Amino acid sequence: MSSLDTMRVSAQIAFRNLGAHRLKTFIVGGIIFFGAFLVVLGNSLVDSIDNSMSRSVIGSVAGNIQVYNATSKDKLAVMGGMTMGDPDLAQIDDFAKLRASLLKVPHVKSVVPMGISGALVTSGNTIDVALERLRGLENKMLERDHKSPEELQKLRAQIAAQKDHVRQIIVVLQGDMKNMKNIVEDAAVNKEDVEVIQKSASDAFWADFDKDPLNSLEYLENHLAPLAVDADLLFIRYVGTDLGSFSKSFDRMKIVDGTTVPPGKRGFLFSKFIYEDQLKLKAARRLDKIKEAKEMRGETIAKSEELTRFVRENTQQVREVLLQLDALKTATFRAKLQKELALPPDAKADLGVLLATFFATDDANFQQRYDFFYRELAPDLELYRVRIGDVLTIKAFTKSGYVQSVNVPVYGTFQFEGLEKSALAGGLNLMDLVSFRELYGFMSDEKLAEIKALRASAHTKEVSRENAEAELFGAGAEEPAPTPEPAAPVKSAKAPRHIVADATPGVNAEMPDISSPLAAKLRRDEAKSRVFPPDEVERGVVLNAAVLLDDPTQMKATMSAIENQGKADGLELKAISWQESAGLIGNFINLARGVLMVAIIIIFTVALVIINNALVMATLERVREIGTLRAIGAQKRFILSMLVVEAVVIGLLFGGLGAAAGAVLVKVIAAVGIPAKSDVQFFFFSGPRLRPDLNLIAVVAAFIIVIVVATISSFYPAWLAMRVTPRQAMQEEE
Amino acid sequence: MKAIVSVKDAVKNYTLGKVVVPALRGVTLDVNQGDFISIAGPSGSGKTTLLNLIGCVDTPTSGTVEVAGKNTSQLSERGLTDLRLHTIGFIFQSFNLVSVLTVFQNVELPLLLQKSIGAQERRTRVLALLEKVGLRDHAQHRPSELSGGQRQRVAIARALVTRPQLVLADEPTANLDSVTGQNILDLMRELNRTEGTTFIFSTHDQKVMSYANAVLKLEDGKFLGRESVQNGGAAPARTGAPA
Repeated sequence: MSSLDTMRVSAQIAFRNLGAHRLKTFIVGGIIFFGAFLVVLGNSLVDSIDNSMSRSVIGSVAGNIQVYNATSKDKLAVMGGMTMGDPDLAQIDDFAKLRASLLKVPHVKSVVPMGISGALVTSGNTIDVALERLRGLENKMLERDHKSPEELQKLRAQIAAQKDHVRQIIVVLQGDMKNMKNIVEDAAVNKEDVEVIQKSASDAFWADFDKDPLNSLEYLENHLAPLAVDADLLFIRYVGTDLGSFSKSFDRMKIVDGTTVPPGKRGFLFSKFIYEDQLKLKAARRLDKIKEAKEMRGETIAKSEELTRFVRENTQQVREVLLQLDALKTATFRAKLQKELALPPDAKADLGVLLATFFATDDANFQQRYDFFYRELAPDLELYRVRIGDVLTIKAFTKSGYVQSVNVPVYGTFQFEGLEKSALAGGLNLMDLVSFRELYGFMSDEKLAEIKALRASAHTKEVSRENAEAELFGAGAEEPAPTPEPAAPVKSAKAPRHIVADATPGVNAEMPDISSPLAAKLRRDEAKSRVFPPDEVERGVVLNAAVLLDDPTQMKATMSAIENQGKADGLELKAISWQESAGLIGNFINLARGVLMVAIIIIFTVALVIINNALVMATLERVREIGTLRAIGAQKRFILSMLVVEAVVIGLLFGGLGAAAGAVLVKVIAAVGIPAKSDVQFFFFSGPRLRPDLNLIAVVAAFIIVIVVATISSFYPAWLAMRVTPRQAMQEEE
Repeated sequence: MKAIVSVKDAVKNYTLGKVVVPALRGVTLDVNQGDFISIAGPSGSGKTTLLNLIGCVDTPTSGTVEVAGKNTSQLSERGLTDLRLHTIGFIFQSFNLVSVLTVFQNVELPLLLQKSIGAQERRTRVLALLEKVGLRDHAQHRPSELSGGQRQRVAIARALVTRPQLVLADEPTANLDSVTGQNILDLMRELNRTEGTTFIFSTHDQKVMSYANAVLKLEDGKFLGRESVQNGGAAPARTGAPA
């Protein structure tokens, strides 16, 4: 009780001293305040980002754990994103076996097969799109026997309108050609191109068109389409997976447009982000971006260089819109724009100029123009280069370097909820596993059978790629043994190379009667209709697999359990955490944590030095007081406790205030939310706003740190104080 | 009479750099219980050094100092502190109150350090002493709100609150005007009579010496002798009201 009273006195003296030296108290207190504030706020924010990001990463593609072949040359990176090349992974031959093995491990909830790669996709230029549509209509016309007269009439009208559009495009191209002749010398103009345009534009060509529409289309596709240079070569990254189990296991995935790919079918799902960002009509996309910047980030066209650039590009690149318009639509657009821009009606006015004027928006009229565009113009435009239902031709380099091409129908678009705007996670598209395997250079059962049949008919002998020269030119006596019949799926991890070497470039290309229009039509339909037996998806090759756990806290234990189980089942598996598989992104949070930690260490080091200094000053000022206390019977430890209490009181008081302020701010931020202003932030916040949770551990940590720092910083001054002798109480200052 | 302080051949040398400065050159004297004694001598005569030895804030270089029967040279740092806490009260020339504490808290402080006295008892004692020094109404004031004389009275109360056998006062009136100084000496004298507390105070003021019932004269660190004061301890004619 009485030692409590002694504490009370030393605390009282400490408090009074704090009050008596306000400036010192505020400086020291301020630093501690800020330190505690930062500990609470910083940790809460970093933890919240960590949480939301881990939810993003785990819930979108990575899963809790990624498993791949331990003999792989490179490390798996699901969300690499930063490097262009894909990691060199060895395959896992039989997914069914892998899954069976993994499901034996405790806490494993589900296993999703995967393969991640990238490919070039030609988005198809405007002429391609227009010709494709015309082809569709003509195909319907070929089946005219089954149609009623009304349907036929409607179809004819559609065909006529579509032809008109194609001819309108040719007019635009003719204009381009004329402009080009003005700028460059005649020699630089490709004569063939001129001829193609002249022929395509000629009435004679169109008069003959209906005689053999499909062949005429073929001519336009092969010769005219390449002249319209607005086609984009897109590099897209995709995950080949079992889409059914993917959408079941990854709760973040939501279909936005269209449907998911039916089981057993080839199919492609675009990431909504990519679909918007890469495939949308560029003018529309820029309008969207300006709107988003204005609304989400409060930017203005006047002040933002980027937005100004968007407006400029929109005014300069109206051709993309022009190419989409047939004569009728051109007239409609002209009239609408003249009305909107309050110009006198003039049927001869250049629509390009009108569009440029329309797109030259400023902050005042942007919203109106934006609304007008989507209300009046967009319905007549093809907003996306690839429509849901189109067949996408994906060309990819197989593992060994061959170009492989596969046709997959686009079933729809999807997004990972919370990551809609993030290029980092939203950059992955989804594809069925069978198409993926083909693109990656693995044979499907179907294809192997086909090759076998071809080979049988041509009487060729199986030659491995490595031995091709020897085989062909008969060099070397030690002729390697021919590889076994490739009809069965590859079983050995070391075998893929010679199978890949056998790869023929795509189902389509090797069809002998490629030139026939009927074959082209068939190959389009075939891609959509072909159904794979489910066990082909199951049994085949995968590159990696995502493992989802029922208890994420068991990740580390489960990782080693997986590797051990794999060994027991004859699989050499490497299990990595989602942080590792997310590559740089996964490490970012550790970086942020490191930076925060360094900041905290610096602040508290400064606090330590300053508190120490302030207490030393205070001690020197109070030598007489301390001497007096010693003279009247205070033991050294009383002096010690007095100083420590003083430091701890400052620490607790201001540390408490700082922690409280930090906690309040966290709560306020949680209520308001920090808006994500960029794709990267969107990813880290796992949504449009970050709503941090208060980290109670951080509050406790703040207190502990503050007390420890305060105590340590009072050691030296306390030592000085304890050396004060009672005699010093009697010395006069003068 | 029993000697509460017994000094035998006390020598005290201070070392300043490499020079040894002798402050006391062998002093022998006794102070009895109930004495009201003045140590007199010019500056540098060793008054303060002697007081420090008696007050257990210092130990002699040679010779012995016994306070309340204990040889201070044989006590540890903690033992000396305990002896000061329980046996000795200090009154300083500059009062040396803890500026951030109230009058009440200043007086209570030694009792708190003793740790054995309950809150109720502390309060009773502190208030009784403040009553006695005439500052009952100033209990909640801060030292900075008091005059010099009032502060010294607070210091006296603080020195007496533990009921020490011995009170040491180093030039207690040096920072006070003469009237106030006289009042302080009157108060000390009265407490000496009523409580039986032994007082030893240093001074170089003749007038102050006249209050003592004996004067111990020092010069150049040597004890010149003990002079009993005529009319020993009787206060000279009092002038003015308490400061």
